[in-house]
Amino acid sequence: MAAEVCHHANAIGALQSHSYLSNLNQHQNLRSNSLRLVTKDFSCSNGLSMGRSSHFGQRNCIVTRSSATHSQTSVVDPVLSPSRSNTSDATKKSNEAALILIRHGESLWNEKNLFTGCVDVPLSSKGIDEAIEAGKRISSIPVDLIFTSALIRAQMTAMLAMTQHRRKKVPIVMHNESEQAKAWSQVFSEDTKKQSIPVIAAWQLNERMYGELQGLNKQETADRYGKEQVHEWRRSYDIPPPNGESLEMCAERAVAYFRDQIEPQLLTGKNVMIAAHGNSLRSIIMYLDKLTSQEVISLELSTGIPMLYIFKEGRFIRRGSPIGPTEAGVYAYTKRLALYKQKLDEMF
Amino acid sequence: MAATFFHQPAAGLYGLGIDVPSFGSSRIFGKLLSTRLFFNSSHHKLHLVLASISHDSSIESTLILIRHGESMWNEKNLFTGCCDVPLTSRGVEEAIVAGKRISYIPVDLIFTSGLIRAKMTAMLAMTQHHENKVPIIVHDESEQATLWSGVYSEKTTKQSIPVITTWQLNERMYGDLQGLNKKETAEKYGKEQVHEWRRSYDISPPNGESLEMCSRRAVAYFKDFIEPQLKSGKHVMVAAHANSLRSIIMYLDRLTSQEVTSLELSTGIPLLYIYKEGKFSSRGSPVGPTEAGVYAYTQNLAIYRQQLDEMSH
Repeated sequence: MAAEVCHHANAIGALQSHSYLSNLNQHQNLRSNSLRLVTKDFSCSNGLSMGRSSHFGQRNCIVTRSSATHSQTSVVDPVLSPSRSNTSDATKKSNEAALILIRHGESLWNEKNLFTGCVDVPLSSKGIDEAIEAGKRISSIPVDLIFTSALIRAQMTAMLAMTQHRRKKVPIVMHNESEQAKAWSQVFSEDTKKQSIPVIAAWQLNERMYGELQGLNKQETADRYGKEQVHEWRRSYDIPPPNGESLEMCAERAVAYFRDQIEPQLLTGKNVMIAAHGNSLRSIIMYLDKLTSQEVISLELSTGIPMLYIFKEGRFIRRGSPIGPTEAGVYAYTKRLALYKQKLDEMF
Repeated sequence: MAATFFHQPAAGLYGLGIDVPSFGSSRIFGKLLSTRLFFNSSHHKLHLVLASISHDSSIESTLILIRHGESMWNEKNLFTGCCDVPLTSRGVEEAIVAGKRISYIPVDLIFTSGLIRAKMTAMLAMTQHHENKVPIIVHDESEQATLWSGVYSEKTTKQSIPVITTWQLNERMYGDLQGLNKKETAEKYGKEQVHEWRRSYDISPPNGESLEMCSRRAVAYFKDFIEPQLKSGKHVMVAAHANSLRSIIMYLDRLTSQEVTSLELSTGIPLLYIYKEGKFSSRGSPVGPTEAGVYAYTQNLAIYRQQLDEMSH
């Protein structure tokens, strides 16, 4: 009996059943920020249901290797459990994952022209509309996991955007701040978990902390410190405002978080959305696009226009912005994304 | 001193009733309120009158209770409890409409539960508020969080409304039923059992809270943290959930456990209470933007509203 060892190109022990559409079991493992790449209950085409395996090569299973992009020809109901997707085989050898970055829209302090930083102010009506529009643009792109900053304007942006998503999975904010919080937010239905998208809030994705400028308006600040000084704080890479962060400091903690917590998820094939802020996202883009510090300080991110990256074989490929609902255009989906979209069309 | 109030659609008042204060100037004041022209010519007089009644106004504060609207699990008919699911588009709309209803009622301080659907409801509602103050969520979960969220402008702080989030205002925790749909649950435990958990006062679902347990922590929080604010004259808004709000209403209205189990709160329809001299008076719901109606503002609320109108002209 020929047995092939299933292996995943870049991550040890993480195997996925059929396709990103049936990324069912992953959710149960995402209760914390830990990096356990364990899959429960993947089954292989010979019908054997394998237990948990976190070691490369520990289990043998017979799988039919097929190139990732061709395997999705079968019409698989996205909500099928893994055992039923046996017949459509396919190793998840394709470690292609989508990464969506969304910068939140107008906040109530943007409106008043005040330096915001880490002060936790909400969206304005305009910001709310921007979030919903952004949601329409990504409504056909798979999302398995959401990361946001700890600030309400980013969290609201994510939640508002997801009200537009066609897959109709439900984002659920994870609570780890105490034992009680964790215990109280438990979900007791497998079906429901399968239809859930964990949302992880992290301060490391917060906006750059603006120190003593927080709450000041641009005029007050120029009066207090002088125009050139303010310009320098805003536009330099490594000069922080008094008791605040420089862009470099912000980048340090944002990119570290991305590499430690988010990239491993992408490696297992999870499709991730990040809802955050101008500076924390620029920092991440600096890493994804390998920009210099000169290049990053002149990088401006539109609000409410999501950016898509495809993560494949350890590399990030920038795909620009999915088109808006009223725009005519050609948006270069990957084959996998196009199929996902088709399935949604069929389902709903 | 008669602590009575009633709404009277007096002729000429633009949908405002007047509170009957304990001193005699009310009739004059009512007349002053009744015409728009007054504002332009006798603005100065209004302020004098205000000054004369200010001794009474300092101890009256408003309390707004808002139950969040439809969540994504409401839509799917799943028991939610303390699972942190967001609002649907409909829930978002409900929050905005609720905001329009309270857009003329002063808010100095906001309390919400720790769950995103209540926080969003508060933030969405406040986008409609006419006073244009900015809600700011207070962060004290760590030294760093507190430090990082500092505001360095007096002026800005004065234009801010602190928002305090707290688990004690969370929805009743539904234990092992969280995430189950009503059908699954009836099949698993039997219809009568489920009905009992949902509608009794002191019987809790497995590993969950009874309404009584929920009340205990919600009302304790209200008495310890919210009531003192009202006492000091702060106007407070509470955005929370069916069971945590019922619990609070049970305390405000002195309901029995029988009465509270049959109390249903509309979603997205804010409830107003006036806190005065240690007592809570239920004032119903402020009228919606497209509703004709008479809403019984107190004198202070009417003045506040006038000032907002003046500000925006």
